[in-house]
Amino acid sequence: MTQRSKEVHTLFLILVGLLAWIVPGAGHLAINKKKHAVIIFVTIVLTFCTGLYIGSVGIIDSVGAKPWFIAQLMNSPAVATLGRMSQTGDYAVYAKPNEIGQIYTSIAGLLNLLCIVNAVYWAHLRRTQTIGV
Amino acid sequence: MSIVNFFIIANFTVPEKIDVNPQSILWLLPLVASIAIVYKVTKTPKIKASAFLKEVAILFGSIVVFMAVTAIVLYALAWLITE
Repeated sequence: MTQRSKEVHTLFLILVGLLAWIVPGAGHLAINKKKHAVIIFVTIVLTFCTGLYIGSVGIIDSVGAKPWFIAQLMNSPAVATLGRMSQTGDYAVYAKPNEIGQIYTSIAGLLNLLCIVNAVYWAHLRRTQTIGV
Repeated sequence: MSIVNFFIIANFTVPEKIDVNPQSILWLLPLVASIAIVYKVTKTPKIKASAFLKEVAILFGSIVVFMAVTAIVLYALAWLITE
């Protein structure tokens, strides 16, 4: 690979990773894996929304539950907006629904992290297989 | 905010009522299903509905059985220690 080609390839990998983070499944869509993209999008969004439905928006707590928030942020940068909404303290959150909601939303985030890594890996693999490196 | 947006967001502003009882453990099942689906998606280069569903079902079953066995072992251990 020439230097220019390597740079373009690296930029493409970064783009795939960013897309996969911004919208779950978009990274796989970028590498033309439509079925994977649809399944990932539906599963992760459904898991995340189930968590929010169980525990309310208040479970996204960027101050009191930072480790959970970091995992939740892996779903999409849009989660930061929900974090700001919940900081107003207008959303009730307590006990068992809080726990279950946090687990659901955080696991959804970690699953999306797995998908981000997977999309970048497949994008890299496709390129190296095409040029035979 | 439009009425539709209001009603969508309103669904996520009040927590559900979930008691602390053995039935609340069943909440793990949808989560295990999600994990099984996403994991199998990342491991399958070409998806064919029947084979994919079969693999997801096997993984889902394996996780649930493993967790049940672990729970039984831990319960037995706790019973042996406390009795």
